[in-house]
Amino acid sequence: MLTQIIAISLGAILTNNFIFSQFLGCCPFLGCSSKVDTATGMGLAVVFVMGLASAICWVIYTYVLVPLGLTFLNTLAFILVIAALVQFVEMFLKKSVPSLYSALGIYLPLITTNCAVLGVVLLNVQNHYNFLESVVYGVTGGLGFMLAIVLFASVRERIAFADYPESFEGFPICLVSAGLLALAFMGFSGMKIV
Amino acid sequence: MNIKKQFKEGLITNNPVLVQLIGMCATMAITTTLFNGVGMGLSVLVILTCCNVVVSAIRKIIPDEIRLAIFVVVIAGFVTIVDLLLQAFIPALSAALGVFIPLIVVNCIIIGRAEAFCQKNTVGASFFDGIFQGLGYTCVLIVMCVVREFLGSGRFGGGLIDVTNGFRFTLDGTGGGIQIFPADYGASILNLPFGGFITLGCLIALMQFALKRSKKKKEEAEKAPQDEEKEVA
Amino acid sequence: MKKIPKLTFILFLICAITAGILGGINELTKDRIAEQNRLKTVKAYSAVLPADDYEEIPLTDALKAAYPSVDKVSRAANGSGYVVESTFSGAQGMITLAVGVNNSFKCTGISVISHSETSGLGANAASSSETGVNWRAQFLGADQNVALKKAGGTIDALAGATITSRTVTEATALSIRLVSELG
Repeated sequence: MLTQIIAISLGAILTNNFIFSQFLGCCPFLGCSSKVDTATGMGLAVVFVMGLASAICWVIYTYVLVPLGLTFLNTLAFILVIAALVQFVEMFLKKSVPSLYSALGIYLPLITTNCAVLGVVLLNVQNHYNFLESVVYGVTGGLGFMLAIVLFASVRERIAFADYPESFEGFPICLVSAGLLALAFMGFSGMKIV
Repeated sequence: MNIKKQFKEGLITNNPVLVQLIGMCATMAITTTLFNGVGMGLSVLVILTCCNVVVSAIRKIIPDEIRLAIFVVVIAGFVTIVDLLLQAFIPALSAALGVFIPLIVVNCIIIGRAEAFCQKNTVGASFFDGIFQGLGYTCVLIVMCVVREFLGSGRFGGGLIDVTNGFRFTLDGTGGGIQIFPADYGASILNLPFGGFITLGCLIALMQFALKRSKKKKEEAEKAPQDEEKEVA
Repeated sequence: MKKIPKLTFILFLICAITAGILGGINELTKDRIAEQNRLKTVKAYSAVLPADDYEEIPLTDALKAAYPSVDKVSRAANGSGYVVESTFSGAQGMITLAVGVNNSFKCTGISVISHSETSGLGANAASSSETGVNWRAQFLGADQNVALKKAGGTIDALAGATITSRTVTEATALSIRLVSELG
């Protein structure tokens, strides 16, 4: 059991990183990574929502959709759950934890359309994970996203001072450097817990 | 809004991937064979067109406060329909694209077009917008696939074309493609995630280069007659 | 605040209509999808152990705990042996492998059902190219002690793909061991 959990975590953070090997969540990854501070905020918000969404969607899938034979509605159900969840989290944080809200608040609405969140709940179903495994996969997948976005933001802060062809201004140079980071993450492939 | 202008916008000047810079996850993830690229592009085209038509048809009766929620429901509906149809009729494509078919729901292209275009335009205009934006997306996917497949494994049309018994199209993804040079000489790194990032980066850079150049030419063309006038004066 | 019930109602209505339409489409495609999935399984399985049909057999909890990577075990309808399907971590991602085992606990063939290994290297384990076919042929007749040459066995690793080769070999050994425990 424990080795399974460790294997899932290691895979989600390093070997099968959501961004560098599965391409899930690229839009916020490229959009919110110009500064390390914003990247950290976005990363934390994603960890939080991915963990919660994995837990709630697992319960809904297992105890509502499967018994009713409505598994074909899973995409629709999951996206509604995620949208509602994000709204609730936003309202809850605003009222009870204002300090956290001021740190994460502006990133929350963006998360609804983050494909890493919908992706992780769909992958949980596809991989037949149980409740604990789903939550672990959600949280560690989020951590992998955070690691990637924070690393990338630090790279981008330096790109600002680099000299590159004019046409590569903006997104293209970011994509090229993200590619190099992906190459570095390939070094983790093959790590295995026996 | 004339159709010609929409066509140009969708394919070039306002191309969803290369200019609006949205919907990039799938663009980088699945463009390893032509089969995947064409399949994904056409799926998005169909879903985008359907959603555009429905959203613009109901644009006057939906309350503004919950419009995004309604858009999401409509999009998720069409995505599920396409997903089920693919599973039933082209299972190979469904298996190859995997989780990226349901993820079309959160593809910014579709919700972006609904919000930016269909809300303000007629059904007809939205229909053509869907087709042309979808075509623009498909073209980018196809270019990405062709480049990555050719440089990565020396092939063209993997999964879609079979040449072992004469030239034919395979819709079940089994075709080996046309081998242009031996796969061993290919830079197989382009088939990895790294290749996705780099290829898309270079494509966008190329687009920026071309757009900047055509803009400069236009400016020069506008300037030229003025200079002539001055000389005459 | 008066607006909320009305908004909720509209949203609910749209959800209900969408769900209704999807239900209809699902009803139309359900049988075909099930048939496609069955065909896919039969096709993948018949490559490792020829038979017209396969019947899934339930595993005891003890076996499930001892072999966590095994997804399902099916018995060939003609009684020639079993097919074990397992999913495990390869070099790049999860690999799903079908292993055919005959009644004297020898491997009758392996087939990679899904994988995301490096194209041109680890992906050769699954490819229909000559390299792939020859590599998989090494497993014919192997017993539960099958191992890579590096580990003192008989299987040559694929060039540049030691990890993929090792995990596939280990999964094959595991599958044969599971069938021998089924008795």
